[in-house]
Amino acid sequence: MVFQSRLMIRLALMYFLIGSTLGGLILTNKAYHFDSSLWELLPVHIEFMIFGWIIQFTLGVAYWILPRFFGEDGRGKTWLATIMVLLFNLGIWLVASSQYGLLPEKGALIGRISEAAAVAIFISLHWKRVLTYNR
Amino acid sequence: MIFFVLSLITGVIMQFEEFTFPVLLPLFWHMLMLGWITQIIMGLSLWMFPGRKTEESFRNQIFAWLAFSCLNTGLILRVITEPFVTYQNTFFKALLAVSAVLQVLAAVFYIIEIWPRVLSKKQSIQKRKEAR
Repeated sequence: MVFQSRLMIRLALMYFLIGSTLGGLILTNKAYHFDSSLWELLPVHIEFMIFGWIIQFTLGVAYWILPRFFGEDGRGKTWLATIMVLLFNLGIWLVASSQYGLLPEKGALIGRISEAAAVAIFISLHWKRVLTYNR
Repeated sequence: MIFFVLSLITGVIMQFEEFTFPVLLPLFWHMLMLGWITQIIMGLSLWMFPGRKTEESFRNQIFAWLAFSCLNTGLILRVITEPFVTYQNTFFKALLAVSAVLQVLAAVFYIIEIWPRVLSKKQSIQKRKEAR
């Protein structure tokens, strides 16, 4: 497994742990109502579980497992893949932080743009790797 | 796949005005995202990631079994209890809290199992040599 995939998968596992813990707290609070402010964690729970865990894990595994090009640069430009990981995670944190007024209003917008840019890089890196060996 | 079908049925039910209970929405999303997508990610990764012990037994795959049991028990408990938790019923409240703990534990057990298997090619070859 290549470095970028290991990085994405490990980060995804951490988001899964944090996201599940937040979800567990929110669900327990639903039963016992010990602190209504815990509901404010819901947007971060959703962001971490969908973008941090599910999407990031899928991207990481796809980068590792899809058919490679012949030659040394089997997965395309590795520096571009590293930028993809950085942009995607920057986006997650920008969106999550902006939920609590930690960033200016535009934080969420910049975060989403960052995530979209990462996905665009992912597509550019993988488009030609989705192929049949019969060609 | 069962949770996938259940979530889709819930999605269909939610479209009828007579059945638009607010509690159905989180159940729909959690059956879809946790019961289907997360569980299929877990199952596939446990099978295809390097470093798997080929001999199958409860002891060899203990954390995978624990993750599977906790996730499904937790989610089933949630589906059963969440619609009734608005009533002042301490039994359902306790069960919902248990389901929350079980779902978090499922994530913990899965991570314990899979984390050491996120390996580079070199590490994977070395691990295979050590296992022989």
